[in-house]
Amino acid sequence: MQGLPLSFTGVKKAFQIKGQALPVLDGLDLNCPAGSFTALLGPSGCGKSTLLRLALGLELADAGTILAGNENPAAMRKTGAVGVAFQDAALLPWRNVEDNILLPFEVLGRQPDSPDHIGELIRLVGLEGFEKARPAELSGGMRQRVAIARSLATRPRLLLMDEPFGALDLILRRQMNLELQRIWSAARPTTLLITHGVDEAVYLADRVIVLSNRPAGILANIAIPFERPRAPALFRDPEFHKLCDEISAWLEPQAEASSR
Amino acid sequence: MKSDRSWVGTAVLIASILLLWEAAGHWRWVADGTLPAPTAILVRLFAERGEYWPHVLATLKISSLGFIIGNLVAVAAAVCFCLWPASERLMRGINIAIFAVPPIAIVPVLVIALDAEVAQVTLAALLVYFPSMTATLAGLRDIDPRIADLVSAYGGGRTKMLLLVRFRAALPAIMSGFQVAAPAAVLGAVLAEFGSGARWGLGTYLLGSLGRAEPDRLWGIGLTATAIAGIGYVLAAFVAHITTGTNRSVTLIAPPRSYDAKQDNAVSRVAMGVAAILAPFLLWQLLLVIAQLSPIIAKTPLGVIDYLFFSKFSAAAQVKILAALAQTIPITIIGMLIGLATAFALALISFAAPTIMRALLPFALVTQTMPLVALTPLAVLIFGRGITVTLVITISVTFFAAFVVLAQGFALIPRSAFDLVDSYGASTLQKLRMVAIPASRSWLFVAARLAMPKALLGVMIAEWLATGRGLGNLLNQSRGYLDYGMIWTVALVSVLVAIALYQMTNLLDRLTSR
Repeated sequence: MQGLPLSFTGVKKAFQIKGQALPVLDGLDLNCPAGSFTALLGPSGCGKSTLLRLALGLELADAGTILAGNENPAAMRKTGAVGVAFQDAALLPWRNVEDNILLPFEVLGRQPDSPDHIGELIRLVGLEGFEKARPAELSGGMRQRVAIARSLATRPRLLLMDEPFGALDLILRRQMNLELQRIWSAARPTTLLITHGVDEAVYLADRVIVLSNRPAGILANIAIPFERPRAPALFRDPEFHKLCDEISAWLEPQAEASSR
Repeated sequence: MKSDRSWVGTAVLIASILLLWEAAGHWRWVADGTLPAPTAILVRLFAERGEYWPHVLATLKISSLGFIIGNLVAVAAAVCFCLWPASERLMRGINIAIFAVPPIAIVPVLVIALDAEVAQVTLAALLVYFPSMTATLAGLRDIDPRIADLVSAYGGGRTKMLLLVRFRAALPAIMSGFQVAAPAAVLGAVLAEFGSGARWGLGTYLLGSLGRAEPDRLWGIGLTATAIAGIGYVLAAFVAHITTGTNRSVTLIAPPRSYDAKQDNAVSRVAMGVAAILAPFLLWQLLLVIAQLSPIIAKTPLGVIDYLFFSKFSAAAQVKILAALAQTIPITIIGMLIGLATAFALALISFAAPTIMRALLPFALVTQTMPLVALTPLAVLIFGRGITVTLVITISVTFFAAFVVLAQGFALIPRSAFDLVDSYGASTLQKLRMVAIPASRSWLFVAARLAMPKALLGVMIAEWLATGRGLGNLLNQSRGYLDYGMIWTVALVSVLVAIALYQMTNLLDRLTSR
């Protein structure tokens, strides 16, 4: 199973706020080759989530082309090749952990790959013993882990994640970063990760894209040179920190001003 | 500790109301003993329990069947409306007609068109349909948008969304609809028994006991009907509790939603509006074609127009209808306004003194579930057969429905709003003017929309049973004379009046909301 390429070409999108058009994307180009890992950073409200919703076909672009695996997003998502995790866990409150992870299979009308497939996913995110728990009985971080397990359940070829680790504490977040790297290295789905964590972006991605404020344009496109697999020790590497600082500088308000 | 004491206060208040009632009955304070003591009613009920069974069973059968069929149709309709929003706009006329129609007005028509028992079940089902449909539709529509995104992201379409998300998410709403529908089914059954000349049923029993001046018997029947409705309510609440684990407020029926038609162009909007108005008439015609009835007894829409304007009876018929309307409409509006005003005042007092509210709410809820017809003969005993009885019945049915809505509305006003004006030293009157009244405005209209059909029903029942005036009486008379044209005409006119009053309430809402 190969990753699917994802590309945005000249994409425009505006929202109507009180009758006025608010441009969020104004001719954005972004190309994620098959099997690549792209991290998106940018000020909050700059249109990162809109980009992800466009890639899923949940929103339609006003202009431009979006191709996922050489198809339009709405057609592609029916093939079951996408995995998605939103900012919010978005769990069905009446389903337990197992059944929530099973949801994508039910929507797609498919069976899990093996009888223990769901069990493996639950162990992966460290929720053994909570298989039958309802979302209301879990902490915010645990719910988010269920959502991550669910996003991986269908062995996606295109993985779209919108700040999936935002609700986790630092230790758990690191742990999930390691796991995500492991899974990604094994299956190589094309991944687009939206995040606010610079270190997380640098640790996981092949390249980090910094978006400017509305309308979002690409401020910086930074290749991450570290060899894979990346050991946890990388988080303490001076080179790593240098790169993080460089990227953080792009996120400061004056960086945007000087680039114009 | 404080809340414990206030519950004691509530209990004491409820006990005192019951004691006062007992005393009033014992010493015959009200209209020479027409308000019997609760104990006297229970004693009589127990003594005559053998007589009750066939009537109770008949009512149970009709209302259960009506409940099941009405809910099946309601849920199916809600699913259609949810999947194809245009279908809801198309059915809007039918939905409003079903909501607003005074059930008593269509009983004779149903009895003409259908077998007696089918007619009774149909009326019960009709009364079940609206509350159940609106609650289900609201539940199906109101899903977590993030979950909707998730299902779409995996390629799920409308069907998957419905099966995996909407149905389960709507369950609490569907159950709360059932709770409102259960007493409505009993009311429908009793009303239908009453207007159809059925042999068995509490409605029949009540009608048969009306001529005898035995208030304790009438109260017994009324309380039995109320108890059945109450049991239905409690059963539905219990099922809701075990299936959803949540206890929701259920006494509120959302008014039909207004439609956001801005994406349509003017032409298709007008076309849809015309279609919505024509739909009820088409349905009417269609049902008659299916039932294959003689055009003499079953009038089509055109048949009614012919009767009212072009037949040899039309002049006399017009005079009768206009006279009846002149009697019915003013008292409906007056009764409803007084009922609303009283409910508003009492809701305000209850807001200031929650103990009173908690003591009154059980009585208000009982009357919500009490089939209206059971109340009428008792009111006749107490207030006679004049215009007073119509007004009393109308005010009381309007009052309780409105009170429950308004009290809930007031409870939703955030305390901080009062604290804010309080901190600037506002007087009680200022607090009312600045916070309570503006905040409750929309609730007042919800209450008015809810109360309006009840007011019209109350007036027509009182006219039918007691006063011999207005539309209700005209309907009863025409039934006696086998004047089929008039029966259909009164049914149609009642529906039109109800819809006109409903739309006037909406218009007033819109005009005052600026």
